[in-house]
Amino acid sequence: MKQFSVINTRLPRIDAHAKVTGDAQYAADLSMPNMLYGALLQSPFAHAKILNIDISKTKRLVGVKDIITAKEAGLIKYGVSPARYDETLFCDKKVRYIGDEIAAVAAVDIETALEAVSLIKVDYEPLPVILNVFDAIKEGAPAIHDDFPNNICAEVHQEFGNVEEGFKQSDYIRTDKFVNKKQDGAFLEPQACIAVYDLNENLTLYTSTQSPHYVQRTVAMVLNIPIGKIRVVQPYVGGGFGPKAAANSIELSACLLSKRTGRPVKMGFTREQVFLHSRGRHQFYHELTTGVKKDGTIVALKNTCYLDGGAYASFGIATVYYAGSLLGGPYKLANMKYDGYRVYTNKPACGAQRGHGGVVARAAWEQQLDIIAEELGMDPIEFRLKNIMQRGDVTCNDLNMSSLGMRESLEAVRDGSGWVRKKGKLPKGKGIGVACGFFVSGAGYPIYRSETFHSTAMIKLSEDGGTVDLFTAAAEIGQGSDTILSMIAAEALGVRFEDVKIHSGNTDFGVDLGAYSSRQTLMSGHAVKQAAENVKQQVLEVLSKKLNTPLEDMDIKDGLIIFKKGPVDCSSLKASYIKEHRGWAKFPTESQLTFQEAARIAYLEKGVIVGSGAYKPGELGGKYKGAAVGTSPAYGCSAQIVEVTVDMETGEVTVDNMTDAHDCGLAINRMNVEGQMQGSLSMGLGEALFEEVKFDKKGKIENPTLGEYRIPTALDMPNVNTIIIESNEPNGPFGAKEVGEGAIMPTIPAILNAIYDATGVRIKELPVTAERIYHALKEKEKGKE
Amino acid sequence: MLLLPKFDYYEPKELTEACRLLSETGSKAKIIAGGTDILVNMKKGLISPKVLVSLGRISRLSEVERMNKSITIGSHLIIAKLAEFDLIRKRFSILASAAKVLGSPLVRNRATIGGNIVTARPAADLPPVLMALGAKVKLKSRRSEREVALDDFFIGPGATVIKPDEILTRVIIPETPSYTGGHYIKLGHRKALEIAIVAVASKITLNKPDGVIKDAKIVLSAVAPKAVHAKSAEEVLIGEKPSAKLFEEAASLAMNDCKPITDIRGGVDYRQAMVEILTRRTLSFAWKEAKKGKKQ
Amino acid sequence: MKQIIILTVNNKVYEIAVAPNRTLTQVLREDLNLTGTKEGCGIGDCGACAVIMDGRPVNSCLVLAVQANGSDITTIEGIAEREKLHPVQQAFVEHGAIQCGFCTSGMIISAKSLLDKKPKPSELEIREAISGNLCRCTGYQKIVEAIMDASQKMKK
Repeated sequence: MKQFSVINTRLPRIDAHAKVTGDAQYAADLSMPNMLYGALLQSPFAHAKILNIDISKTKRLVGVKDIITAKEAGLIKYGVSPARYDETLFCDKKVRYIGDEIAAVAAVDIETALEAVSLIKVDYEPLPVILNVFDAIKEGAPAIHDDFPNNICAEVHQEFGNVEEGFKQSDYIRTDKFVNKKQDGAFLEPQACIAVYDLNENLTLYTSTQSPHYVQRTVAMVLNIPIGKIRVVQPYVGGGFGPKAAANSIELSACLLSKRTGRPVKMGFTREQVFLHSRGRHQFYHELTTGVKKDGTIVALKNTCYLDGGAYASFGIATVYYAGSLLGGPYKLANMKYDGYRVYTNKPACGAQRGHGGVVARAAWEQQLDIIAEELGMDPIEFRLKNIMQRGDVTCNDLNMSSLGMRESLEAVRDGSGWVRKKGKLPKGKGIGVACGFFVSGAGYPIYRSETFHSTAMIKLSEDGGTVDLFTAAAEIGQGSDTILSMIAAEALGVRFEDVKIHSGNTDFGVDLGAYSSRQTLMSGHAVKQAAENVKQQVLEVLSKKLNTPLEDMDIKDGLIIFKKGPVDCSSLKASYIKEHRGWAKFPTESQLTFQEAARIAYLEKGVIVGSGAYKPGELGGKYKGAAVGTSPAYGCSAQIVEVTVDMETGEVTVDNMTDAHDCGLAINRMNVEGQMQGSLSMGLGEALFEEVKFDKKGKIENPTLGEYRIPTALDMPNVNTIIIESNEPNGPFGAKEVGEGAIMPTIPAILNAIYDATGVRIKELPVTAERIYHALKEKEKGKE
Repeated sequence: MLLLPKFDYYEPKELTEACRLLSETGSKAKIIAGGTDILVNMKKGLISPKVLVSLGRISRLSEVERMNKSITIGSHLIIAKLAEFDLIRKRFSILASAAKVLGSPLVRNRATIGGNIVTARPAADLPPVLMALGAKVKLKSRRSEREVALDDFFIGPGATVIKPDEILTRVIIPETPSYTGGHYIKLGHRKALEIAIVAVASKITLNKPDGVIKDAKIVLSAVAPKAVHAKSAEEVLIGEKPSAKLFEEAASLAMNDCKPITDIRGGVDYRQAMVEILTRRTLSFAWKEAKKGKKQ
Repeated sequence: MKQIIILTVNNKVYEIAVAPNRTLTQVLREDLNLTGTKEGCGIGDCGACAVIMDGRPVNSCLVLAVQANGSDITTIEGIAEREKLHPVQQAFVEHGAIQCGFCTSGMIISAKSLLDKKPKPSELEIREAISGNLCRCTGYQKIVEAIMDASQKMKK
């Protein structure tokens, strides 16, 4: 008998039909009767004092219904982490980046709203603009936030083991620097929302978010509304990748404007405003020193990192920790020291983006490890395998690899890519490269300090027993959580996938921290599984009594009641169902007793059958400061091999082939797992080769478009040989863990290592444009002369 | 959502009517063809013309006609069709290949040949190949009509010799002699949806398959305020027998025939270096084509 | 001043009064309530707003509604025949060619246009045909596989 009925298959997504027909409604598709349109006034200066705000002209414009500035909105500070609440809805005394919010208006239509904001007159006194981390921390640099006179938003100093001692034991030590560029999430759907404040003083916010829960909390705090009066609802969401994981200025503005006007208020970002709001990947300046023994044993790592955080903290306080903690694995490493500094600059705020904090560190280190392997005369895969961690290993910073198919992944890509045949044997201009990585399967702690459950779930059975309503606040943003959670519910309860009707992304349905840090499958999955098991128990209890059969002798599978010890006479129950069921659709025709019949009988006995589940991680490792960032109930891991062709004259890179193996514990839906892997690699390819938010000298973004901020097209991204590794994670529901972010970890360094193999040059600055390779090749030629 | 400013809109069915409208509204009016450039600029707030005159209903402007020793292409022909017409694909393959790499399929189904010329973007795809082909444009106003060689048409970024009351109506491309070959290479970051960092169009004509170069055109794009001929490179080729060495010499001269700048797409040094490489590559390819006796 | 235009959208004829500065995207979404057509950038960079106009896929954000007067438009809502999904839609469902879904409408529009013209395209031709439609979620692979599969099924 096969182990699972529903999970571990390739079922089509539950939302597929709605999405291929255009039926799926996103926030910008919604409208309400009597709705107003909002617009923002944003700063044209990167750093300036606000001397005066004159709204008199705006007030006189016909069709304007409300104008709000810091005066109306108040100055309650908010942000992501309570330790760094450094934003107010609107700027009061100064602006800190081009795009900082100054006011919002609500008007009868969008044209009027935009005209209205253009009529607000603001007097500024420009201040010196700081656009670079190292300028920001210079002695005497102007402070962007008064509370942080040296512009250091957060710093981390950690040492595990003894790095100096480690270097003494090392035969070979090398130091490399590495830097990336500020990145944008570049999800296809710009943020949009509608806020509706009703006559009963209840507020409903429909919004394009990754975390209805965090948005609900922030709105409650900033607007001083009881949390129970606020409902945040997610329509379909067009991608997030991190930047949509916290409340934004239009959500807060729309709520306040709706509260003040008593009318629904709709707001949306233009693509340029998406770039201005940003919260995408930081710019990281890493300096890594690694010590190894002659035999290839990695002994010590010293990592120093400066992060360009932009004007506000956002998720940055976590980012600066991740940039250190995520190098603790997947290689055995006894000594690790990390010094991280997240610095304020007058640019849009950076936050979390796929592979939060770890992507650039990983790129830097995996390239350095490749250099070291070559210096030692070792094959890069042999070198990695020599140091690789396995199930049960604990990193020096206390990350517990409760399952880890890292070796299996690496061997799978080696064998799946023809590595042995190709490495070192390709002609000039062709190259092959490898890298590994791992990522948390859900941050172990909420972003605010709390004992809260990370996810709750509720299941209710319909009175006819035919439909399983699953209620969760988990956030479907495209990654597929609605499908995954429905599959988990069906499997755990023993019903068919099509019997489950999911209701998600709504704070009325419970607590769920949302779709970030690759948490939904493991954390929400646990809660859903528990709720399903609870419901199953209730149904079987009633059945046990009615049939006078011990509960443990019964089970539910594929929508049927299983009697483990042979057939039980259910004819009376079936007959009573027929009587009850007269005139209804979907009549059970099976000769066996069905779940539907059993559930109806349970309802008749007990009333509505409702089961609930709740999950928070058990005790996690690490007692040191900052241990909360990086610890997780489980870790996914990934190995990749990339093949490239480099035009040795122009420097153009073509990625020809990619082979990826990812350990996701157990694939709840194999098609979704592959999709996450392929999507991760595509984003990694973009970051490696193209992506960079560019600024002019005044701090203005030079390329706030998808034309000049380049994400890969269908012609840039090759097919991926996609290999799923399953390691059965003990802390995951049915053994499942993450795939959404771990899969991006090795992509950039695998590309970098392949480029080196093709060209003989090491590129330590992203993105690797053709121009950068061209210059590196020229430098190398010069060196030879 | 990005909004368009307000404007009045006209879509005459006759060219004379379009010319009349343009002359009467003066500088307040702009022509809209495919709209892929002007609507973007209007949405970004860079321009806000009070009047838009569409050429979309003047059917003659979307036609391709074969004349005695040339073909003429109506300025409103969409880029996608340039790569679809057999006549263009076979006899002016260089134009078809440039048309295939412009923007994306969705853009090519709206953008027009005339639009790609009059917007005078220094990195536009069609001007370099059209200049290599020796194309002329026909400019019509209410009172006059004139032909201007594309070589003399551009002034600088966004600036051309076209007068506010003139409409670019046709592009005239002379038939090329036998033993002509050409090639266009566009260097961009991505493989689609791209604006050139550098692009080069070359065309050479041999006097016979294994003979000397009778005529040579090399046009460089995105390395000067407008597409420019690599004059010294063209000169060094004429009368010579083609060879890899000759092309290297020409390519090296081409580097000094341009004046690139550093912008967000690329740096001066890189652009200059790429001119050399792309010139050499396009010439080699053009030579191969020319030897086949193909008309370009 | 508003002008009266006639659009045939998904085989239905509409007479609409529009201001010249409204785009086809706006009219489809706001006047006809066909919100399946998405706007991801508004300037022709992303392809989320693609519709088929007189047989060719175009970015509807860069078409004035008045320019479309008299045109035959197909939006994502008009791809399926009644309840039956178009083979491209069906293949997108079966192959997992969808994640967030925001690019999906435009992707299907481009794919259908391709297959209408070229029933058996190569993989490269498919990739070229959707190269103006950006997708941030899928890495395109499953989309390409779906279009290939649809092309094979449509041939039968």
